[in-house]
Amino acid sequence: MKRFVKKWRYPLFRTLMLTAWALLAGFPIFWITSTSFKPDNEWHKWPPVYVSKNATLDNYRMVWPIHQTGSIFVTPDQKGHGVAHESVTANKPWHALKNSLLIALSSTAIAVAFGTLLAYGVSRYRILSDTRMFQLLVLRMIPPIVVAAPLTLYYSVLQLMDTASGLIVVYFITSLPYAVWMTKSFIDEVPREMEQAAEILGASRWQTIWEIIFPLIRSGVVATFLFILILTWSEYLLSFILSKVDVVTLPVQLSKYEGSTEGRVYGHQAALAVGITFPLIIIGIFIRKHLVRGFTFGMVKR
Amino acid sequence: MANAQTIARKPGRGLLVFKWTLLGPLFGLLLFILPAFLLQLYFSFHSWTIYLGSWWDAEFAGLGVFRDVLTDSRFWWAALRSLIFASLSTLGCFVAGFALAMAMHRPFRGHSLFYAVFILPMLTVPVVIAYTFEMLLFQRGPINGILSTILMTNVNVTWLAQPPIAVFTVIMLEIWNWTPFVFIIMLAGLSSLPPELDEAAQVLGASRWRIFSEVQLPLLRPVIMLALILRFLEAMGEFPKTWALLQGGPGSATETVPVYLFLTTWQYFHISRGAAMSYLVLIFMILIVLLGIRLLRREKQTIDAIHAKPGAGE
Repeated sequence: MKRFVKKWRYPLFRTLMLTAWALLAGFPIFWITSTSFKPDNEWHKWPPVYVSKNATLDNYRMVWPIHQTGSIFVTPDQKGHGVAHESVTANKPWHALKNSLLIALSSTAIAVAFGTLLAYGVSRYRILSDTRMFQLLVLRMIPPIVVAAPLTLYYSVLQLMDTASGLIVVYFITSLPYAVWMTKSFIDEVPREMEQAAEILGASRWQTIWEIIFPLIRSGVVATFLFILILTWSEYLLSFILSKVDVVTLPVQLSKYEGSTEGRVYGHQAALAVGITFPLIIIGIFIRKHLVRGFTFGMVKR
Repeated sequence: MANAQTIARKPGRGLLVFKWTLLGPLFGLLLFILPAFLLQLYFSFHSWTIYLGSWWDAEFAGLGVFRDVLTDSRFWWAALRSLIFASLSTLGCFVAGFALAMAMHRPFRGHSLFYAVFILPMLTVPVVIAYTFEMLLFQRGPINGILSTILMTNVNVTWLAQPPIAVFTVIMLEIWNWTPFVFIIMLAGLSSLPPELDEAAQVLGASRWRIFSEVQLPLLRPVIMLALILRFLEAMGEFPKTWALLQGGPGSATETVPVYLFLTTWQYFHISRGAAMSYLVLIFMILIVLLGIRLLRREKQTIDAIHAKPGAGE
């Protein structure tokens, strides 16, 4: 009996602890998913409804409408003329989704493309010294709020406010350090003998990159791309500040549900939140083996 | 060492062109972003809010704007709050993440399922986290509901309305969000430790605690430092969750430096003051980032050395 207790005490304790944490970690995700299916009279009910018995897709239909619904309403201005407004929330998620896709995908693609080339140069030709490489991290580690004010002023002068290209450039800058460091950690793992062999056979520098290195690090580049996509997709502050109407991204769109005329529309918020966050969760679990490398700038590998 | 690693091609103009093609975009970016900081410099030395006329006519104020910021007690309180927030949340993430990593170190059934669930918080969009927790922490929401069921009384905590509880809530939110970060780093660190050391210590009759404190912990030091430094720096700049959940309130209980900066520039429209404050924070952050990087560099060399050892790692 004593031996039995001794043998099972630790695994039991471990399983209990891990389950407790798993519940903590999973519960909020469970809650938005569950809320997104609740009809509106269950949003604020007490005691709380955990799983709705009257589950409905209404919230999703409302937030992600398939057909254009009426969203224009008219209010009088100071002189009494009617002014047409668009409802703050109606029909906007699709627009925001389009913006988010455009901005996140293109800035990530550009950052990974140039980052990979730079990383190759650093790995093989030392075009940046170790010190410079670490200084590159400053670009990422400075909190974005510190540069937001100057960026706003600068962008107003350049007329880049509220444009997709403005945001793409900003995200290119903030994700470049990740791109360089992460792809460099993959390139460093490729043995140099292969390039030397290619060189002897007369391959040009660009041919070596494209035909020798790239195929070998392709999965690493994909992982880098997806990792940076997660970060860019969820970025809030810069897109909140540098956009007004035209290039509202999904996280900013979500924040517009707060304090708008509709009040606390938990169900709609949840339906939108599920749409924003589930793609990232799937991507993240898909590249889970590379997350460590990403978050530590390639310094820790699995 | 460096020479052996680089590829020996004939040096020449081709090589130079090649190198600069790779470097070009980086320099282009830096040149592009530079004027923003010059503009900010202009605003820090000129007193201007958007209620005044054109910004190019603003009055030269010398160091006046900086003096205003440095004598602003609200700014110093915000700085103190940021430091407390970053330290406590980093500590919390570290303790929880390290404990989880220790528990997940050895493979067992269901390992990958637990791993997938544990990384969920890190993959959730920060704004989504803020709004989800607003629903959860709602006075008649599920957290009070669950506590009521467990404690068999009617729990009615207003998580977001009372200053000390709100601060606690924001810190817990950050810990919830970023524990996975420490967890995955520590797990990777633990699995790169050579298992022979552990076995050797066991054969020599060391207790589990001694193996942990005298064998594993010293070897994990670089990874620990890495996790702590990166987490602390990120926490210093945390904005989206705090802002979306509380906008610095109740009162100014959760008004950290990023929140105060945001309020100054985008709510009060004190552009000059915001610019000067940004500069001060920027300089301070660059100093601690450089300090952090200096530490990181030292630790990275140690990590690389451990990885380079034959038999170590995977």
